Amino acid sequence: MSDFDSELDATGLNCPLPILRAKKAISAMDAGQTLRIIATDPGSVKDFEAFCKQTGNELLSSGEEDGKFTFMIKKPA
Amino acid sequence: MSVRLPGPERRDSILKAAQRLFAEKGYHGVSIDEIAREVNVSPSILYRHFKSKQVLYDAVLQALSAQRESYVQTVINSGTSFEDVLTGMTQVYIKSITDNPDLLRIELQSLLSKNPATSDFFKNRWKSFTDYIEFSLNERLPYDRPNREITILTAALMFQGMLREALLQKYLQPEDRLVDVSLSELSNELVRLFLRSVGIEKSHLSRKAVING
Repeated sequence: MSDFDSELDATGLNCPLPILRAKKAISAMDAGQTLRIIATDPGSVKDFEAFCKQTGNELLSSGEEDGKFTFMIKKPA
Repeated sequence: MSVRLPGPERRDSILKAAQRLFAEKGYHGVSIDEIAREVNVSPSILYRHFKSKQVLYDAVLQALSAQRESYVQTVINSGTSFEDVLTGMTQVYIKSITDNPDLLRIELQSLLSKNPATSDFFKNRWKSFTDYIEFSLNERLPYDRPNREITILTAALMFQGMLREALLQKYLQPEDRLVDVSLSELSNELVRLFLRSVGIEKSHLSRKAVING
């Protein structure tokens, strides 16, 4: 199932690295593209919500499975 | 005779007193009886809210972690420059201790108490800095630099040491050598010295101070 254009593995990294790396990844993406992020820091849930709210990127989904958090973020068109 | 407080307020007052006492005397230096006396209840009422001293201590840590500083704002505000982000993170961290010096006291108490959950809690806080520094230095340092790996590890350790020591001296030692240094001056200078020591020159302090005084 490929509903994302780029993937970022931020497992094992603490705030602010997942956000920082997402920010960089997104700036390298085209408008309208989707980034999938995997993180293990529980704080990343709130962090990505705040990040998307403040930067205008769209948080398509946020989920957790087995201690891994997955986020889908869409760069606005 | 104690004032009858509703459940949540009673719970809150117990947590506050417990935090103060654990900060002052460490986990092993405080008894449930003492905490109960502090909030004017019987131990049995306290046990109704918290099953054991360990559960109470964990709840204190939980409450502290809910106030956990977030570096998201720093990243959004300061762009991706290593210098700016590190300075911002340092200011946020210093502010979290300024707002609640008990956090620092509990951390130091826990270093000697051999409680793994607690040391994980505090290690995790520092991991934000050490991860970020190691990651950034790994990107920035030339690959042909001798002892590169050791430099990166030691640099992260050094930063943690500097920051913790500065906070310790500012908040825990009776004679405050840093009384005339503002928090923003302190964090800027620590970061500047640190960056210079790893061979990265900070060109200018582009961030405006986040913390006053």
